[in-house]
Amino acid sequence: MSRYSVQVAIIGGGATGVGILRDLSLRGISALLIEQGDLAHGTSSRFHGLLHSGARYAVKDPVSALECAQENAILKRIAPNCIVSSGGWFVQRPEDDPGYVEAWLQGCRAAHIPVLEVPVSQARRQEPLLAKDILRVFEVPDAAVDGFKLVWDNARSARCHGGRYLTYHRVDEVRRDGNQVVGVRGKNLLTGEDFAVESSLVVNAAGAWADRIAASAGVSLEVVCDKGTLLAFNHRLFQRVINRLRSSGDGDIFVPHETITIFGTTSQRVEDPLDNQPTELEVKQLLSLGSALLPGLTEQRVIRVFAGVRPLHGEDSELNEPSGQAAGREVSRTFALIDHEAVEGIRGFLSVVGGKFTTYRLMAEKASDWAAAKLGSTSPCRTAQEPLLPDVPESLYREAQALLPCAAAEKMLERLGEEALPVLEAVRQDPGKGQLLCECEMVTVAEVEKAVADEDAHHLADVRRKTRLGMGTCQGAFCAYRALPLMWREGNKYDPLGVELIRFLNQRWKGIRPALWGEQLRETEFTRAIYAGLLALKESDGDSGGTA
Amino acid sequence: MMWDGIIIGGGLAGLVAGIRAQERGKQVLLISEGAGSLTFAAGVLDFGRMEELQAQENHPYALLGEQAVRDAFRYLIGLCPVYHGEWGRPQAVLTPLGMLRQADLVPFRLDASPLAGAREIILMAPEGLKDFFPEVVKTNLQKQFPGAAVRLQRLRVEEFTNWHRVGKPVPATVYAKFWCTRQGALTLQNLLQETALEVRSGLNPVMVIPGLSSAFCPGLAQTLDKAPWPVVEVTSFPPSPAGQGLYETLKEEFRALGGELLIGSGVGRVEIESQAVRRVIVKSRGKETAFAARAFVLATGGLFGRGITVSPTEVREAVFGLPLYVPAEWSGSAFLGEQPYARTGIAVDDRLRPRHPISRELLLTNVHVAGRMLAHWDPWLERCGGGVSLASGFLAGELL
Repeated sequence: MSRYSVQVAIIGGGATGVGILRDLSLRGISALLIEQGDLAHGTSSRFHGLLHSGARYAVKDPVSALECAQENAILKRIAPNCIVSSGGWFVQRPEDDPGYVEAWLQGCRAAHIPVLEVPVSQARRQEPLLAKDILRVFEVPDAAVDGFKLVWDNARSARCHGGRYLTYHRVDEVRRDGNQVVGVRGKNLLTGEDFAVESSLVVNAAGAWADRIAASAGVSLEVVCDKGTLLAFNHRLFQRVINRLRSSGDGDIFVPHETITIFGTTSQRVEDPLDNQPTELEVKQLLSLGSALLPGLTEQRVIRVFAGVRPLHGEDSELNEPSGQAAGREVSRTFALIDHEAVEGIRGFLSVVGGKFTTYRLMAEKASDWAAAKLGSTSPCRTAQEPLLPDVPESLYREAQALLPCAAAEKMLERLGEEALPVLEAVRQDPGKGQLLCECEMVTVAEVEKAVADEDAHHLADVRRKTRLGMGTCQGAFCAYRALPLMWREGNKYDPLGVELIRFLNQRWKGIRPALWGEQLRETEFTRAIYAGLLALKESDGDSGGTA
Repeated sequence: MMWDGIIIGGGLAGLVAGIRAQERGKQVLLISEGAGSLTFAAGVLDFGRMEELQAQENHPYALLGEQAVRDAFRYLIGLCPVYHGEWGRPQAVLTPLGMLRQADLVPFRLDASPLAGAREIILMAPEGLKDFFPEVVKTNLQKQFPGAAVRLQRLRVEEFTNWHRVGKPVPATVYAKFWCTRQGALTLQNLLQETALEVRSGLNPVMVIPGLSSAFCPGLAQTLDKAPWPVVEVTSFPPSPAGQGLYETLKEEFRALGGELLIGSGVGRVEIESQAVRRVIVKSRGKETAFAARAFVLATGGLFGRGITVSPTEVREAVFGLPLYVPAEWSGSAFLGEQPYARTGIAVDDRLRPRHPISRELLLTNVHVAGRMLAHWDPWLERCGGGVSLASGFLAGELL
């Protein structure tokens, strides 16, 4: 059994959890984060990647609107490499309620969100795919944010300041001594070994799993699981975030990222956080809704469908009806900190629930303030000022661009910052390592080798989350084949290869299946030809079987 | 001009149909929008389990019958004598990762059987060969042939020095092309001689060389014939030299027999009169040209070949707009398991003529459907892609 001893144990490796880990580490408080999967494998990577300006909440949820507006500005400052300040538009269509527009403008003013009206003729020029019959367009400071990158950068920064995290470790119990929480215990899912953490405080940031964690400590917490389905298209349909200017509904946000666009979302209550399988019906409904903003959306190539489960805080709910399609949207999107001492008399245990990705830092600040106060620390929060990563020196840019194609160099530096140094060194020594292993997302052999060598890379999917490998149009058809042998060579973690290949293909398949048509269907045929035909893999090889 | 037959689609099925029809003295035009998908394939041909597949009610094998499939098997050997195979006795070939898999018709030297008796395996690793992982292949060979010592021998060719310097990987087809030149054959000959000095013949050595296909390159075959030990080739990740070799061979054969090839333009419109296709209209460089024929073969390659297009609302046959068999359940949860969508295609009668999938009514009297356009089969799960394409292509060529 592995044992750890820290001041604060944090459960959950999403944006909130790593945010708390970083915040505490910057304050010099020792903290250990425990995550049952890989970092960012849950909701923090399963959203539209919209950094809210707050405008979306301007009418219904003024608190959220204000929080988002402030955090939007802070994150753009501290995490510029994770954010593309594309700006966002709110677009009113003829059928949208004009009364809402006025309420919205007022709400934005109240939350200090800068709004600029864009003449429709200009809007049509700047976004040629936008519907022609729109009435009014307003610009707000929405932006696109890369959830994986932001989570990893928080984790890296925390690590630099002494923070530690354990991935693939599941917490089974928050342990108590009388009314005092004394730590957690659980299982290392990779080795099956038990582990225990002794800590003065435990912070529950397990998102959609937070109620289960609370229950293990004998306290109750109501978390509403709200599933949101999203589509990824194979190119940038718009240059900026496009929102529908009406009371929030399904299928009214487009967010461009790098070379793709994410479109969503839906809102549906589900019982289980793992209930995140999107359906073909949802896809078709989304496409039909989105056609109001982008006519002919059905013809565009959907490369992937995915769903995240928003963990909303049940007790804030103004909801009378416990089920129903739009139920999730009625629940507040603000967050809540629950000190279980105040409620149930359990000391040293805090749950953070609700909120949204944009406000992760604020949630982390509040949770860390709580921990600092309990521990008698007076160090102030520094996360609103201190950049996540040091600036990449100009010389590193020049060097990268000399060794790699410009776009590949830039993408790599955005992902790695200064950690790109060893990658560049490897390419200098052996130019073959500058090859693009993943041609869709422009990831080099050397970068994949680096990600593979990381102690927290256990599956190909972990490497994918760090590098974006396999996330482009081929959805892994080529790069899964190319990456596995590299991973295998680095210490036999992935032997036999067939098991890992089939695991990865089936994960990708989950998101391709609900939109199996057009070019992605052709890609599917090709991928099956390679893996079932050429490599003669069978589904049964995924259980135990061959070496492939 | 009135053609005896127009074949739409230039993959395996279309080319075999064209060759067969020309052999029978017909005047055939083959219209192909792309280059088929043979170059993506390994170049080995699978026939699958005849008995099992024939028992499936609507499977192309049930329709064609065992004799027709056997005839097609023999026909291909006659057409490309570099292919070896015995009906019902699949051979082992190496996958790009060095695992053994079965295939029914195999170009000479892709047959991996010599490895069974080897006590030493020399695995050649051409520097910078794209999508080839020498260490993985070495380990896999060692696991499957524990009685042999596997030795990795790196191989560097001056020709590609500039590629290596800038770190550009060399595709298998490019390496293969080099070995086919006089210079390449000479280089290989020298390499073999150098290696021979280190190899003890008492150990039954076998050499494994990826990234070439000697079956489609007589000069190279001669060089390898002179090697003092058997040489086994490896199937390639796409694009593959052997697949390309088969494609080029079939195209040349079709041309040599007087067939006319039109590659790069697809059929835009068709003219149909009383259940018979009269003319197909090809749009090329902004100009429309109509071609008339007595009969047609539709071999447009299914979903991958774009003969069938699928949108969120519609599954469509691209040339004639024929109704298709579309399974009620579209996909399955295990990626490499049963995928019903793969069985989408055109239902046909015993002369490969399209019928309505439900009413079974005959739809066009002078069109024969071949290859991946046929309904009710899955080449990846059933491993019968070569068999169905060859047999249906051959039959279509007989019927033109």
